[in-house]
Amino acid sequence: MISVSLNEIYSETYKALRSVKIEWSLAKDCANKAKWLAQHDQYFLGSILKTADLYKNKEISISINKNTSKKPLATALVGLLLVEYVSEKKITWGGYVDSSKFLLAAMGIIAKEQQINLILENEQKDITAFTKDKAIYVNTNLDTNVPSYFFLRTYDFIKKKNTKFTSFKKNKDVTNLNDKCWERLKSMAFETYVPESETSKSGAGY
Amino acid sequence: MSFQNTKNNLEYNHPIRPPSEVMKLDRLGSFHQTRLSFTRRLIDDLTYQKSKIEIHRWDIDNRGIGSAIIKITLKNEILSLIVFCHSISDEERTDRVIAEKWDMTFSLFKGIPDKKELDQLSKNLKIQESGRHNSKQLTLSRANKSQRIFKKVLSNLSIGEQPSAKLINDVGYLVRTTAVYGNGKFGIEDFSNTKGNNFLEKPFQAEMLTVYLIRYFSIELINFLAKKNGGSKSTTLSKSFSKHLGVGNATGLGMAPFLVNHQELIHQWIHNREIALSRVFSIKRLDKKTQNKIINYINKAFKYSLQWKVDDQLQSKKINDLNLDLKKILQNKNLTKLLNFNYPIKTLFNFYKDDITIETQEILNSIFIEPFPELFEDLINNMGAKEQKSVLIGYNVNDILKIIKENYKWALEIDTTKPEENYCFWYTSQTKLEPRLGITKKDAGIDKQLPFDIAHQIKKTLNILKNLPHDMSAAEVMVNQPELRNIIKRIIINKSLPYSEIQNNLIGKDMKPIDILRCKLSFFGASKFDPKSNLWTRITLFQGAPFPNELWKTNTNDWLFPNLSNV
Repeated sequence: MISVSLNEIYSETYKALRSVKIEWSLAKDCANKAKWLAQHDQYFLGSILKTADLYKNKEISISINKNTSKKPLATALVGLLLVEYVSEKKITWGGYVDSSKFLLAAMGIIAKEQQINLILENEQKDITAFTKDKAIYVNTNLDTNVPSYFFLRTYDFIKKKNTKFTSFKKNKDVTNLNDKCWERLKSMAFETYVPESETSKSGAGY
Repeated sequence: MSFQNTKNNLEYNHPIRPPSEVMKLDRLGSFHQTRLSFTRRLIDDLTYQKSKIEIHRWDIDNRGIGSAIIKITLKNEILSLIVFCHSISDEERTDRVIAEKWDMTFSLFKGIPDKKELDQLSKNLKIQESGRHNSKQLTLSRANKSQRIFKKVLSNLSIGEQPSAKLINDVGYLVRTTAVYGNGKFGIEDFSNTKGNNFLEKPFQAEMLTVYLIRYFSIELINFLAKKNGGSKSTTLSKSFSKHLGVGNATGLGMAPFLVNHQELIHQWIHNREIALSRVFSIKRLDKKTQNKIINYINKAFKYSLQWKVDDQLQSKKINDLNLDLKKILQNKNLTKLLNFNYPIKTLFNFYKDDITIETQEILNSIFIEPFPELFEDLINNMGAKEQKSVLIGYNVNDILKIIKENYKWALEIDTTKPEENYCFWYTSQTKLEPRLGITKKDAGIDKQLPFDIAHQIKKTLNILKNLPHDMSAAEVMVNQPELRNIIKRIIINKSLPYSEIQNNLIGKDMKPIDILRCKLSFFGASKFDPKSNLWTRITLFQGAPFPNELWKTNTNDWLFPNLSNV
């Protein structure tokens, strides 16, 4: 295991995603979600590496309108775009999601920054997560790693059944990660750097 | 002048200068230290905290090799600067960030490290970026002795003599840092984790404290070595010379992208500075004492400009013009009369504005802010900013087009098809992962360029948006065209934070990165900007600042534009 800072998670993640030609803003959104998940004691690194591989092989969708169970929506990349879109349009969106944890991160971020009340429901329309008063609450039975069909919408009033929800709390200063996965992320990030040239030497000291 | 008196004096709100005037590189690159700068704020905070700074451990030998710990006791916590001094040859000493050996390495640490922690620090600090650091470390830094001055001063002191004032002034520091890392770099503590800590949660506070302590250490070190070398014949560096020595820093392109990447923060810094100016321009009357203070600061700035020597021809000319401008102002027999008018600061500034350079205008602005710290307490303590991760909802295409037309006129005026407007590109170098500037037609790596072509992105976005339904939401545009998200986010931020964008083409041939560096460094509180090219500069931090044992004295923080007599 390796202990890394949140700043390192942010900067290495967005650079790594840039190495597979993911748009700047989506790479940065993903880095912010990774940081959020790390702060909330959730795993994220394996999913990011997987997302990068799937994106590279075009086996994942970044279209909120075109996604299937075989090619689900890459919430690591477009989760924030999706929650902004749903919040703006006040619609109910339904679609296949690869990993709901990044959607939860996106919901958590927008709830805190823009105080928007959102509900995430499963295919049976059971509430799996909701945001309220800048915080996010998640069904304790939700497996965030399994690709599933979800509905996302805003709400004014909420009726919860007898489901147990847990509040995701920010409780991490330092994150311990699998060092092999971290090295892989770093080596991907390294691909975005440019080799030393005569011009590149023109920094401080020359 | 008391705060109450000054406040009652503010009868109208002088309009703040618009971003179109302030956010140009030639002006940003003329900024000087002000009362809002972080070095100044640190001194205020150390005084407020009743801080006690002392040598906790000193294991340094006659050659200056070894380690030391400087302990800082604040109201609610203890911090320490961990120092390791190494042996390196003159050839190994370089300002470049890619260096691998340094005379000294440092880390600001939470608490006092135990033996295990100290062992870990001793292994990792000396290799800096290649080491693995921990969350008790707030900063990571290194410095080299100045080859121009360190040995000479040491040999003078060892035989009981003071060095020449000219030498002290020409260099201005004994040691020069080549990097001061903070905010989670290489595993150290994240800045976000300092939230709620009154002392450390302010931007760059940990970094500035590190540099302040390095300055203290450098004077302690030279006095210690002089004593070891010269024994009873030796002397210590005089108080006035010690005070005139700050810490040098070589700053390159690594710092430039910060101002582009942190829109909210750059807005906050510059907006606060402009509000401060607006407040002093709104003061209706000045009493005699304050008038004299202002004249005294102009005089100090004049002397400072005489002692500000650089090799760079362009900056030399700017300093020469500054010197002539300030002389002209000081020789005006009606200077006091101007300060006796209603709205005296505004009157004085407007009287000269068209006849002085931007460099002089901005040094005057620093002077005008100086006598009224009570008037800016709210601004000084509010230099941080919350950075938005999501894009604000509620905007449609029409709104975005309107913001572009109102706030991005500067970008629309640039002919982005011209080769000179596509002259360079920004990228991250493999060597130490530092941002660099490449020449578009010459260097490889444009496919990995950083998105700093803001003017180009604005024009492209305008052309796309014009053809979309004007009531389409920005969220929908971004869902359909994620490649526009980066710039749409910038535009929306700029709507409410208009000082968040540098209004020049950052990939144009005329762009001078040195201006971006100077803007940021002025907020740090740097002085004696000494450009070595368009790409990097040397500076001095804390020159003239009080030492730890002086933090209790009256007017402790009165050290703008230090100059040395008998140079």
